[in-house]
Amino acid sequence: MKWYIFKRLLWAGVATMVVLTITFVLMYLTPDTRIMELEFQAAQSGTDPEQARQAAETARGMDQAFHIQYIDFMQNMLSFNWGWSDSRSEPVIDALASAIPYSMMYGVPAVIISTIIGIVIGLYSAVNQYTRGDYVATFVAFFGISIPNFWFAIILLVIFGTWLGWVDLLFDTQASKIDGEWALRAIVSWENVKQLILPMFVLMTASVASMMRYTRAEALEYVESDFIKTAKAKGVSERTIVAKHIFRPASIPIATILVGDILGIVFVGSYLIEVVFGIPGLGYLSFDAIMSQDTALVFGTVFVPVFVAIIGNLAQDIAYVILDPRIKYGDR
Amino acid sequence: MSKQPSQTIGTDESTRSSNSLLSVSDLCTYFQTDEGVVKAVDGVSFDVQSGETVAIVGESGSGKTVTSESITRLFKSPPGFIPEGSIEFDGEEVNDMTVEELRTLRGGRVSHIFQNPQGALNPVYTIGWQLREAIELHQEVTKKEANEKAIELLTQVGIPEASARLGDYPHQLSGGMKQRVMIAIALACEPDLLIADEPTTALDVTIQAQILKLLKSLQEERDMAILFITHDLGVVAEVADRVVVMYAGKVMERGPVMEIFETPSHPYTRALLECLPSKGNLGGIPGSLPSPIDPPDGCRFASRCVFAQDECLEGPQPPAYEAGTADHVVSCIHYEPGGNPDIVLKSDATVSALDVDQMGVGGENR
Repeated sequence: MKWYIFKRLLWAGVATMVVLTITFVLMYLTPDTRIMELEFQAAQSGTDPEQARQAAETARGMDQAFHIQYIDFMQNMLSFNWGWSDSRSEPVIDALASAIPYSMMYGVPAVIISTIIGIVIGLYSAVNQYTRGDYVATFVAFFGISIPNFWFAIILLVIFGTWLGWVDLLFDTQASKIDGEWALRAIVSWENVKQLILPMFVLMTASVASMMRYTRAEALEYVESDFIKTAKAKGVSERTIVAKHIFRPASIPIATILVGDILGIVFVGSYLIEVVFGIPGLGYLSFDAIMSQDTALVFGTVFVPVFVAIIGNLAQDIAYVILDPRIKYGDR
Repeated sequence: MSKQPSQTIGTDESTRSSNSLLSVSDLCTYFQTDEGVVKAVDGVSFDVQSGETVAIVGESGSGKTVTSESITRLFKSPPGFIPEGSIEFDGEEVNDMTVEELRTLRGGRVSHIFQNPQGALNPVYTIGWQLREAIELHQEVTKKEANEKAIELLTQVGIPEASARLGDYPHQLSGGMKQRVMIAIALACEPDLLIADEPTTALDVTIQAQILKLLKSLQEERDMAILFITHDLGVVAEVADRVVVMYAGKVMERGPVMEIFETPSHPYTRALLECLPSKGNLGGIPGSLPSPIDPPDGCRFASRCVFAQDECLEGPQPPAYEAGTADHVVSCIHYEPGGNPDIVLKSDATVSALDVDQMGVGGENR
């Protein structure tokens, strides 16, 4: 078990290095827009563009040999020195640090709540397959998957913001802070929670739906299995059968889905949701960075989901051996 | 042809049922499907006395398993339902029991073991956990006591070094070992009746013999009744006291094991016995089971029966007529009072003599 986890950790490290290396090679090969701009400015003001380029490259260490640049880059990356954001005039890390809490504020509860709701509805649906309750749940699930998030978000804003006036159209970035500092008391205040309900709801429509469908499919594999009949013959109650005998084996593949689910829905969804609702989170930051061609910041905002994916996969591999006794630790 | 139309299988049983451990009479179990109502069990009666072994035999699809699962209502419901019939266990009507009462019955007084030990244990729990669950459901015990009981049970079913195996997962055990664990789980609460649904079918022959021997010795120790479901007549001869022969959801013949083997009376029983490898008819009985959705009139077996007459194709399934002794009954018109059973008993006609062209509805539409 320890050896297995050690190997998985090692692999996560290798994956991180591979991602960083590919990023570096891409950056190395692509012409730097900022240097091209400097050259252009130099040419306009009558100085030698070649000289300006060399000066800029020296300043950025770009005149060094490939391997030295590579080692520098890796050192910077691993020490969280992720460069300077031109568009925001602050280090990339600082920009990320101020944005991530906003994303987590609605993303984390949305993922937790939608996982629980999705699993419960999925189990209900599987146990009551082809009943009216199952059909209703399936309909709601397909509605949630099919409806485009950004459109749904706009419609909700129109209804609850403009028509009913229940929520503010503009996101109040200070509602979660006291005197400009993050504070738990402010985060859970009604003022702040109120403006998070709609984004969470939109995010959850899709994730509840996919969680519910996966859970239903996985649980159905076991609903009519022999060991459920054994449990029934022992005199186990229906509820315990669902909770212990069906959910437990079904949780193994569900745990796998969870990571992809969170990544796909939260990080892809966050672009749309944060832009529509005006939440200054990671998605909004990334969107802004792309729009203003802030390369360093784009990389920074993309690295976050990449690292979450690597850590998520690690957690998933470990969850797998804990949940499924049939998997041997040493074999892979 | 409407002699004694009011008499159905089962009414002749009513006087006996009171002192039986299990008394099933006129049981029907149907399943609602898109194609129609499948009449898997369609009027079945039999009794099980304390401490005896009753075997239900019949080919695949004859309703044996559904009959056994009806006793504690294990079948999936919906679509399954019991439109009529009664199941009395120790004088109590199971069909009237609430879900809670059923749960105390299941595992507490009536236990099941199933055909496929590979799938019958939950793969993500240790066998110790699964045994303890069975023990704790019906008995007030501490965790330590449950553990001790689990070890004791595993030892009784012949698992060596039981205490070391409690932490094993099902995939770490062989098929025969898994079936032993299943038996241990079934015995956890000292049931009065053990329903064994083809418990040896998925095992190889040597293991099969061991499991049968184990069941027999456990039965003697505990004075437990066994309802044995099988299609293997060799197994029946070995374990059963009495035999119920089922075909297409109906009981064809019922009687003590000796009589069934020595004077098989229903044409279906005779045909089944002819299919034993030692008898040489390896081709089986020509034709196939009638439709369970829309069963033909008359005797269910008539379309495959060499002794069938026109009247066999009319009315309901013939009632249970006595054949020889009071305990041996046959659902065949040749045994009605005044009929001539010798047509069947004295005939050397074998199933292979049946002309395939004559076979009628049951055979040709599949």
